[in-house]
Amino acid sequence: MSVEQKRPVKTMIQCRGVGKTFTTPAGPMDVVKSLDIDADENEFLVLFGPGQCGKTTIINLIAGLEQATEGSITVNGKDVKRPDPERGVVFQTTALFNWLTTMGNVEYGPRVAGMGKAKRRKQAQRYIDLVGLQGFENSFPIQLSGGMQQRVGIARVYCNEPKVMLMDEPFGALDAQTRYLMQEELQRIWQAEKRTIVFVTNNIEEAIYLADRIIVLSNCPATVKREYIIDMPRPRDYVSDEFLRLRKEITGIMDSTR
Amino acid sequence: MKTTRIRSEHLSTLMWGSASIGSFLVIWYVLTQTTRLGTLIPGPDIVLISLFKGIFGQVGRHSILMHAVYSLGRVLAGFIIGSALGVTVGLIMGWSRVAEAIMAPLYRIIRPIPPIAWIPISIIWFGLGESAKIFLIFLASFANVTLNAWSGARNVDRQLIGAAKMLGANQRQIFFSIVLPSSVPQIFAGLQVAMSSSWSTVLAAEMVRSSEGLGWMIVTGMNNNDIVQILTGIVAIGVVGFLLANIMRNLEAVLCRWNKSGQ
Amino acid sequence: MKVSLKQSQYFWLSAISLGVIILVWHLCTDVFEIKPPDIFPGPTEILETFIEKLYSRRPDGATLLVHLGASLYVTMVGYLLGAVIGIPLGIAMAWNRYVDKIVKPLFDLLRPVPGIAWIPLFILLFGIGTFSKALVIFLGALVACVVNTFTGIRQTKEVHLWVGDIFGATRTQKLFKIAIPTAIPMIFTGLRVALGMSWAALVAAELLASNIGLGYMIQQSRALSRTDIIIVGMISIGIVGAVLDKVLHIIEVRVAKGMNAE
Repeated sequence: MSVEQKRPVKTMIQCRGVGKTFTTPAGPMDVVKSLDIDADENEFLVLFGPGQCGKTTIINLIAGLEQATEGSITVNGKDVKRPDPERGVVFQTTALFNWLTTMGNVEYGPRVAGMGKAKRRKQAQRYIDLVGLQGFENSFPIQLSGGMQQRVGIARVYCNEPKVMLMDEPFGALDAQTRYLMQEELQRIWQAEKRTIVFVTNNIEEAIYLADRIIVLSNCPATVKREYIIDMPRPRDYVSDEFLRLRKEITGIMDSTR
Repeated sequence: MKTTRIRSEHLSTLMWGSASIGSFLVIWYVLTQTTRLGTLIPGPDIVLISLFKGIFGQVGRHSILMHAVYSLGRVLAGFIIGSALGVTVGLIMGWSRVAEAIMAPLYRIIRPIPPIAWIPISIIWFGLGESAKIFLIFLASFANVTLNAWSGARNVDRQLIGAAKMLGANQRQIFFSIVLPSSVPQIFAGLQVAMSSSWSTVLAAEMVRSSEGLGWMIVTGMNNNDIVQILTGIVAIGVVGFLLANIMRNLEAVLCRWNKSGQ
Repeated sequence: MKVSLKQSQYFWLSAISLGVIILVWHLCTDVFEIKPPDIFPGPTEILETFIEKLYSRRPDGATLLVHLGASLYVTMVGYLLGAVIGIPLGIAMAWNRYVDKIVKPLFDLLRPVPGIAWIPLFILLFGIGTFSKALVIFLGALVACVVNTFTGIRQTKEVHLWVGDIFGATRTQKLFKIAIPTAIPMIFTGLRVALGMSWAALVAAELLASNIGLGYMIQQSRALSRTDIIIVGMISIGIVGAVLDKVLHIIEVRVAKGMNAE
C-alpha cells in the first residue's frame, strides 16, 4: 500500500518561516527559527529531535496554544489563531481530567460541543473500544496504569474527530515494554482510522516504526535539518536490515552535529 | 498476611486506647474521691450521669439534644450561605485577574479579623436574635472557603485548560467543567477548616448572648457556679465537634474519590 | 486564558477599588447619614476615634495601646507555653510507639473540643485573671502544635531513614537529622494555625470576662453603643493578627533556610 498511494493529496498543515522567541531574564531566546513544515492529509509525520528544546513549542504553535512570533501556520487552509477542536493534542503528561471517568474524558469534546447524551455516549464508546479500553469506562484516571491513561488521551482526541492530531511525546513517560506496546497500538488505531498526525519524539526506534516521513530537527533553536521518507511496509520489524540501516544513518547525522 | 497484621495493629491501638482513657477516668475518679480536688470539680461518674439525664431531660428550658440542635441549626444556616458565597467569590478571584484586583483588597482587610471579634458589632447591627449569630457563622465560613477556592482556581493546571480549549470548550465551559471541579479538593480543605471555625464561633456567640444552645449551657453553668453543667456541656460540645469533623471527612472521601489513589 | 494584566495595572485597579469602597462608605455615613453614626459610623469618625483612643482612657479605663499590650501579653504567654510543650510532645508521639499509644487517645478526646469551650470552666475555677485566659490559649495552641508536628514527623520517608541506617546513624541522630527537618514545614503550619486560634480565643475570653484587653474594649463599647470604638478595636485586632502571622512567616523562612528544608 505504499507505491500506488501516490495520488494527488491535500496539504493539511503548512508552516512557513515560523519562529518563536521567548523573553527570559537572560534576554530573548530563540526556541524555534525559520521552520518550514508541510504535512499531507492522513500522513503520519514524525518530528524527531534531541534534547528538550523546541519540539513541544512546535506542537503548541500548531495547536494554537501558543502564538508564533514570526511566520505563518495554516491548517486545513485556515490560519491558526487559537486552539480549535479541528486540531487535537495528546500531551506527554496526559492532561486528563482526573475528576472525570474514562467515559467522561472521552465524551468531553462532543459534550462541550452540545451533542446529545445518547449520541455522544455511543460515539465515545466506539473510540473507547478502538483504543482497547472496554471495561474501564467508569474508572477514574488515577485508577489506570500509565499506558491506559495515554489510551484515554488518544481516545479523547479521536472522539472529537479532529482533522489533525498533534502528539507531544505521548509515550515519553512510559516504561520500555509499555512503550513498544503503545507504538503497536497507535499504529493499529491509526490504520483503522486514518488522521493527519504530527508526532514528536526523541526516540529513534519509535520514529522509524511509526512514521510515513521523519523530519529531523536541530536542537535550540529548532529548525529542519533533514527529511526521511519511510516507505517500509507496516507493521515494521524493529530488527529488519532496512530498519537498522535507517536507524544507524539518522543516529549518525545526530552525532555528527553534537 | 498483611491484613492480619493490620488487624492486630488495630486491636492493639484499641486496647491501648481504652486502657489509656480508662486509667485517666479512674485517676480522675479516685482523686475527686480522696483528695481536695473533689471539692473543686465533680468526678467523671457525676458528669456522665448528668449527661445521660440531660440528653432528653431538661437543662434550662431544653434538653441537651435540643441545645445541640439549636447550635447546629445556626452553624448550618451560616455555613451554607458563607460557603456558597465563598466558593463563588474565591473561584472568580482565582479565574480573573481583574476581579482579583478589585475584590482582593477588601477581602485582605476583613480576613485577619477573627469572626469572634465581630460579635459586639453584630449585636448592634442585627440585634439579639438569630440573624446576628448566622452572620457570624457566615463570616467564619466565608473567610476560609474563599481563601481556598481562590488558591484552587489560581493553581489550576494550565495544561488542563489547554486540553479543554483544544477539545472546543469556551470560557464559560472551562470555568464550570475544569476550574470548578479541579479546585474541589482545595475547596474541601477550606470547608473543613470553615466547619471547625464555625463550630467554635457559634459557641462564642452563644456564650456572649443567647438563651439556648450548647454555648449558652456552659456559660450559664459559669454564671450559676454549676461545674457539673459546664463539664457536661463540654462533653456534649466535644461529641458534636467530633461528629461534624467526621461528616466532613466522609463527605470529602466521596466527593474527592478521584483524587485519592489506592481505592 | 486570563486577561493579561500588568503589575502596574493590577496595582491601580486595586487602589481604585479600595478608594471607591471608602468613598461609598463616606457618602453613606458622613454625607447622607443613611444610618445614625452610633450604628454605622463613617471613615472620618473612625479615624478621629482611633487617634483619640491612642491617648484617651475613656470610656473603658485604658488607652488603645494599653489594651493591646494586655491582650498581646496573655496571648504570648499561653501560646509560647503551648508551643514549647506541644512540639516536643508531638515529636515524642510520632517517634515513640508507647507515647503514641498512651497519650494519643487522650489527645483525640481533647481535640474535638474548641479551645474557647474551656473558658467558662477556667473562669469558674481560677477567676477572671491572666491565668484563666492564658490557660485557654495554652490548650488551643497545644492541640494545634501537637497535631501538626505529629503529622509532620510521620511524613518522613522510609527511604530517607534507610539512608540514615546505611550511614550507621543512631535513632537519635535519625530523629534530629532526618525526621525533624522533614517536619519543619508542618511544625510551622501548626504554629501559624495555633497563633490564629490563640488570638481569636483571647478575644473570646476577653469578651466574656475581663477588665482589660481589646476584647474587653469592644464589649464595653457595645454596652455604651460606641460603634466607632468597636470598629477601631476590630481593625486593631485584625492588624495585630496579620502582623503576628507575618512575623511568624519571616521566622519560618529563616529557619527553613537554616535547616535546608523546603
